[in-house]
Amino acid sequence: MKSSVFQKSATATVIAALVIAGVAGCNRVSTTGADSPPKIMLALSTLNNPFFIELRDGAVAEAKKKNVNLIVVDAQNDSANQANQLATALSGSTKAVIVNPVDSDATGAPVTALNKANIPVIAVDRTVNGAKVASFIASDNVAGGMQAAKNLAASIGGKGSVLVLQGVAGTSASRDRGKGFAEGIKAYPQITVVAEQTANFDRATALDVTTNLLQAHPGVTGIFAENDEMALGAIQALGSRAGTSIMVAGFDGTDNGLAAIKAGTLTSTIAQQPGKLGALAVDQALAAATGKKGSSIVAVPVVSVTKSNVGQYIK
Amino acid sequence: MTTTVKAHKPSFKVQRFLSNNGALVGLVVLCVVLFIATPDFLTGQNILNIGIQVSTVAVLAFGMTFVIVAGGIDLSVGSVAALSSMAGGFLFTSSGVPGWLALVGGLLIGLIAGAVNGLASAYGKLPSFIATLAMLSVARGLTLVISGGRPIATSPEVSFLGSNIGAIPVPIMVLVVAAGIAWFILNRTVLGRSMFAVGGNSEAARLSGLPVKRIVVTVFALSGLFAALAGLLLAGRLDSAQPQAAVGYELDAIAAVVIGGASLSGGVGRISGTFVGALVLVVIRNGLNLLNVTSFWQQVVIGLVIALAVGFDVLRRKSRRS
Amino acid sequence: MIETPLITLEGVSKTFGTVQVITDVTVDVRAGKVQVLLGENGAGKSTLIKMMSGVYQPDGGRILVDGIAVSLPNAHAAEKLGIATIHQELNLVESLSIAENVMMGRIPTRFGMVDRKALRSKARDALGRIGLDIDVDTLVGDLGIARQQLVEIAKALSIDARILILDEPTAALTRHETDNLFRVVAELRARGVGMLFISHHLDEIAEIGDTVVVLRDGHFVAEVSASTPQAELVGMMVGRSIDEQYPRRSSPVDTSTAVLKVTGLSAKGRFQDIGFTVHAGEVLGIAGLVGAGRTEVIRAIAGVDTYDSGTISVRGQVLKKGSVGAAIAAEIGHVPEDRKGLGLVLDASVNDNLGYATLASSARMGLPDFSGQRSRAGVIAETLRIRMLNIDQPVRLLSGGNQQKVVFGRWILAQSTVLLLDEPTRGVDVGAKVEIYELINSIAAAGGAVIVVSSELPEVLGISDRIIVMRDGRIAGEVSVSEATQDTIMTLATSDSNRSSQTDED
Repeated sequence: MKSSVFQKSATATVIAALVIAGVAGCNRVSTTGADSPPKIMLALSTLNNPFFIELRDGAVAEAKKKNVNLIVVDAQNDSANQANQLATALSGSTKAVIVNPVDSDATGAPVTALNKANIPVIAVDRTVNGAKVASFIASDNVAGGMQAAKNLAASIGGKGSVLVLQGVAGTSASRDRGKGFAEGIKAYPQITVVAEQTANFDRATALDVTTNLLQAHPGVTGIFAENDEMALGAIQALGSRAGTSIMVAGFDGTDNGLAAIKAGTLTSTIAQQPGKLGALAVDQALAAATGKKGSSIVAVPVVSVTKSNVGQYIK
Repeated sequence: MTTTVKAHKPSFKVQRFLSNNGALVGLVVLCVVLFIATPDFLTGQNILNIGIQVSTVAVLAFGMTFVIVAGGIDLSVGSVAALSSMAGGFLFTSSGVPGWLALVGGLLIGLIAGAVNGLASAYGKLPSFIATLAMLSVARGLTLVISGGRPIATSPEVSFLGSNIGAIPVPIMVLVVAAGIAWFILNRTVLGRSMFAVGGNSEAARLSGLPVKRIVVTVFALSGLFAALAGLLLAGRLDSAQPQAAVGYELDAIAAVVIGGASLSGGVGRISGTFVGALVLVVIRNGLNLLNVTSFWQQVVIGLVIALAVGFDVLRRKSRRS
Repeated sequence: MIETPLITLEGVSKTFGTVQVITDVTVDVRAGKVQVLLGENGAGKSTLIKMMSGVYQPDGGRILVDGIAVSLPNAHAAEKLGIATIHQELNLVESLSIAENVMMGRIPTRFGMVDRKALRSKARDALGRIGLDIDVDTLVGDLGIARQQLVEIAKALSIDARILILDEPTAALTRHETDNLFRVVAELRARGVGMLFISHHLDEIAEIGDTVVVLRDGHFVAEVSASTPQAELVGMMVGRSIDEQYPRRSSPVDTSTAVLKVTGLSAKGRFQDIGFTVHAGEVLGIAGLVGAGRTEVIRAIAGVDTYDSGTISVRGQVLKKGSVGAAIAAEIGHVPEDRKGLGLVLDASVNDNLGYATLASSARMGLPDFSGQRSRAGVIAETLRIRMLNIDQPVRLLSGGNQQKVVFGRWILAQSTVLLLDEPTRGVDVGAKVEIYELINSIAAAGGAVIVVSSELPEVLGISDRIIVMRDGRIAGEVSVSEATQDTIMTLATSDSNRSSQTDED
């Protein structure tokens, strides 16, 4: 009997010791957190695309400036991969997570787990459905699509027939840009969209699809591509007609796209400023990690780039 | 003893030709439907377009035909194509290697990657599905490492692969030459005949004294070489080597080979069939573009055509056997 | 003759494409009788049994079950009428237990779960009916072929089969296992099951059959009593008389010239200290029970498998270990035990299959000698009388005997002088057997050396000049053919268990 009381008290002591040690441990991390750089995870959908590379570069540069320990992980466009990567943030000393979801719906569950662990989550470029994010940073794709329509219409004199190269069917970027373009082009009753076909955001596919579409619609004077990669594929298909008899409008403002504008083959693009997306995401994450309240939606402005202002954007 | 076959009427010969060329019949039907549906289909320019567009997939699929005939599968061809074109571009732009040498270097990279697949499969005893699945990831990863994820400009020699000589596009010429070489290897060389034996029954082939392991390595190396050629063709057409080039092309290549009448269990396959299979895939995409079918339905239609082409072939064989 | 047969195929015919394989054949199976179906490979036996089991449908004629005309559109329909077929390739799942195999498709369940107890007891009953006493939880893959066959029979009987078709059930069995099977057959006969029995062993017919239907080239030849003398049966089968089942040859063995010499050959777990010499013009038989290491020794000599120690030399030249290519270069030819799995590329043509061993050696700069190969293959096919549509026909479509001739032909085309034959006449009909024996004789007569591994003692005795007997991976003894009898060989093969094919564990 005596021994059992002793055992109980011993157990209680051990538990108490553990709790104290745990709290102390936590304290130690948080107190020294001010000195050693806070750890923030940047979980990207892919690095298989210049846009996200520029986003990462912007984030890395900002992290350096603000003394943030930025861990970059790449899900290779696989939602399951991304879920696993996000789960690792639960066990580490990560202060905040910036996520660029592979799939907005699929990322809901792992982000919910982060919500429960009180780790703030910042979504960038694509939002997260079914979970809380401290802040959502994105370019305004719908507005960008409308600007693209305006640019293309201006370049072809407000009339004629045009082609649309769509992105991967079902993605939000494709949906929003397409929607913006369709709305924007309504203002020009003399312009007709004669064909809309997907080229999967891919340059090689755009080359083939544009070639095929020109066969059916030889009289087109303009092409809107929902990203620069497809625009460059279309330009490849057009050959010498690009920028002379057929105008091409792109979207994203990638290095290659800007170079094509300088060369005169690409008429306009919508610069997304991915570097700025990355930098702002780091700023928001840092604010959230230190308990400051950031803004819930940060719309990074998109800018129309044409030959007249391309010099400002080209590196 | 041979009289029974020779004595048949010509109608039987026609029937036999048709039943041996199910994919061709399917292609002709597809073309007739498209010809009726749109006047843009059967034009000289569109036929050239189809010729150019089929070149990449067909060249990949020729290499795949060797592997499938020999009883294996090569999932890495898309990645190896991208790696080879990227390596070629890198050698030219960053290492200052002459353009033609960079092109040869690219081909060599493909050959090596393929040979590694073959070694892992023949000597490492990995199933080819696994060995090439690993290579699919490794080669794509190396492509990204070399390029830093950005496209690289190609040498004039590679760009030449995407140009025209007179009215004839170079990709079509490369396609014709590659088809000729592939046909010759498969049907006219000891290596080609050995592929059929290895794919049909590798133990029987070994017991008959065929160097099965060496054959397997060579087969995969050839597949890598053809993949590299396809990758350079694609880079030539785009005037740049793309890090994400040819993603998923391995599935097109496998589909082309199977539509062409090859058996995934090995021992059966023809270059002409594979070519027709690749044409089916490209013609259908071309047709769907011409008809402006929405992207959602395109995927449905392509899937159905593949299933129909192969299903028809299976039924035909069954009815012939019993 | 008064009672109605269980099943009758009445004047049936069948055509595949342009080839008529069955013409107006009538066969019946009666309750409590064993009907034997006899004919060379390609005579139409398998087509006939496939009609009975619903796999093929006759183009002409009728199928009567209990005197009533029926149609059997598929195997399931035949099964429902109580017709079961035990094929040569058994229809069992090796990775499942005996109980699961016997009860396949009828696994008893309780509350949606497998009722293991009922499963076991039902399976045990089924096995008990044919006097088989094995643990029903044993995996089928762990059983020998003979027991697997009995499991399949038990399975058939457990679904109330009254007509049992046994397609060459004894082809892969030892004498002892065959006796065991025949005991079961006799019991079933007594219980009124009607059986159709196919065998190439003529001596089994009188032992097990009641009547014999002889087929030749798809035609009905005769229905006779099972006690008809063998020579007469053979005459009916082949349409000509075969004087001797084992043609003798007169050419002498040149004992001064050792062609193949094996010394101290050992491979752990397979064979130990094997040594023998085969002379020019000699046929060496290797006898022994299945599993005694005969196949393993043959494979080692052929370069298929490697070994631990010892040497193999051909005409004084030591052979490289584990290299089929080196063996072929030394004029060794190997006819493996399993011709479909190891001998042939079934979907490839006769021409291709004949040429594999010489594909590389007859080529120039990597290009095969197509026309030369074709003409050589044509000559070989003619010489060996390979029955085929044409030389481009896939080997798959040939009968067993003709397939075996293709494997032989490959080595004759390669001009092999040292032939290693592993069960060369298994599943081969009588006519083709004699042709294969003559082939062996002609190779020996030309100064070649032949090794024959065979489980059929009469065959070993009939064609060998000298016989070595293996037991447990070692050579148990050697006898010259003049002093060898089935008894002396069996004594050597089983000497530890004291010479007895009767003291059996079952």
